[in-house]
Amino acid sequence: MSGKVMVIGGGPAGLEAARGVIELGYECILVEQRDSLGGSPISASYAALTPDMEDTEVAMARMIDSVVGNELADIRLGNSVTAVEGSAPEFKVTLQSDSGSEIVDICSVVVATGFKHFDPGRETQKYGYYEYDDVLTLVDAEKMLKSGSFVRPSTGEAPKTVCFVQCVGSRDRQIGNQWCSKVCCGVATKEAIEIKHLLPDCKVIVFYIDMRMYGFWEDLLYWKAQEEYRVNFIRGLVSEVTKRGDTIVVKGEDTTMGRPMEVPMDMVILSVGMEPSDGTLAMAELFELPLECHGYIETKGGPLNTVQTPIDGVFVAGTAAGPADLEDSISMGGAAALKACAFIRRITVTN
Amino acid sequence: MNPIYKDARYTEVPYEEKLKLFDAVKSDMRYPHELHGCYECGICVAACPSARFFDFSPRVFAQTMAREDVHSFYELLNDNVWDCSQCFSCTCCPRQNNPGGIITIMREVAVNDGLQSAKDALQAYSRIIYKVMSTGTQVSPDMLQPDFFPDWGPDVRDVSLNLDVWRRAIPPETMHTVELAWDVSEKTRLELYMIWKLTGNLEMIENVDEGLYMILEEVMEELLEEHGYDIDDFDNILED
Repeated sequence: MSGKVMVIGGGPAGLEAARGVIELGYECILVEQRDSLGGSPISASYAALTPDMEDTEVAMARMIDSVVGNELADIRLGNSVTAVEGSAPEFKVTLQSDSGSEIVDICSVVVATGFKHFDPGRETQKYGYYEYDDVLTLVDAEKMLKSGSFVRPSTGEAPKTVCFVQCVGSRDRQIGNQWCSKVCCGVATKEAIEIKHLLPDCKVIVFYIDMRMYGFWEDLLYWKAQEEYRVNFIRGLVSEVTKRGDTIVVKGEDTTMGRPMEVPMDMVILSVGMEPSDGTLAMAELFELPLECHGYIETKGGPLNTVQTPIDGVFVAGTAAGPADLEDSISMGGAAALKACAFIRRITVTN
Repeated sequence: MNPIYKDARYTEVPYEEKLKLFDAVKSDMRYPHELHGCYECGICVAACPSARFFDFSPRVFAQTMAREDVHSFYELLNDNVWDCSQCFSCTCCPRQNNPGGIITIMREVAVNDGLQSAKDALQAYSRIIYKVMSTGTQVSPDMLQPDFFPDWGPDVRDVSLNLDVWRRAIPPETMHTVELAWDVSEKTRLELYMIWKLTGNLEMIENVDEGLYMILEEVMEELLEEHGYDIDDFDNILED
């Protein structure tokens, strides 16, 4: 028996799981298919983290540094898991990289393969994402905010009016994604503050169904955006984004006012939600992990065990198990590390 | 920015005009204490007595001002600002907003600007304003006239015909007058006049009802002069 834990995915949840494993004194193989660690916050160029707005690179570097260079950590960048044989505690896992493949022996696994952002042009074109240059996603906006220059892609000029459309790809029976993606309200509000910070005279409106500002996000983000930056939050979903002449027009109802709206906008930002990543679905298949009804990796403890999959020795952390914010992902990473190590220890002690 | 609503009103009024009045409200020193952010939850409407009887919503005031929607602000300033009873039940707000307090400031701005809608709204109150500002009492027996209290039914007509008799029939000391609710001393009136003048209240009246202003100034001038004060030179009053 190898006595090793494999963590698949080098994002926030995977990094925290790897750190937990090595801090508990076990050997960890950390597999990441990209060429760098940090997961979506780094690969998707998040400007700052929600809710405390710490610089993403700085924050993630701290996580990465806690793992890289540790003698118990065997980090495999640019590697994918392509085959799994056997069962815990004697998995034989095939790692594939550009330089070839290798079979490694491991005892337990933490799957932390994350999510992908909803593609707003996939199911419907009502928001004109692929049609209009000035219709963006939260992810596109992050890239611009990270660069420190927030301008209309069509003109290169600073926008005077910007709106966010919430719940794009979430809470929608029409497209089959019935879940709330949990983070988009906070991220959109964070971006709204960042935009107002760069462009104080820009009018920023968030069109929403419900604002879900859990815990401390309430006053740290939502109140702050309203009271200090006068970001407008209007309850009412945009039905379509159209163009009138050169102007983008969003249509909707202000439901608390009970009045119909037609608002010209310089930029529209679609708050795209989460879906299980391709890696998450691939790992589910290879490790024979059942999916829960929304298509994420199933856990079997309900709210009391957020990381245990129905397959012995296989644990899940972060958004591979469903939409999660950073706090939840990190907490799950730690819990999964603990259980993955405890799984090995139980066998070692029994033997 | 243009109005966001398809059914926006006052679209013929220039944005700059609306913004001027909006900024006047926003720059009032009380404003930051009256408004933070609005959940649009409606607890203020639930608590509001006016909202039960009129198409009036303190929430709409709070949310419009919190959003800094200048166009909707102008609609409220003209069409709804006088529907509030200023009871401040709306201070039950979980964000510690005070929609009634916002309305207080908006009314002052409307009056100071001499907005036609403010003049129209206050026209019915000119008799009361006259009584309050000239005597310090609000309702006196001679105000009980059928024209002004139609909701009292036929009784008010009967009462108004014999006000003097009714007044004499009341046991406590009432000075047997129908022009005052109670005895107001000359000293009190003198102090009131100084307050109206010095606080700018008299000028506010001038903005909305010039006729009433002229009557009031005449009444005040007379008493002030008797006591050696010049209504147009208030430095001498302040020195005293």
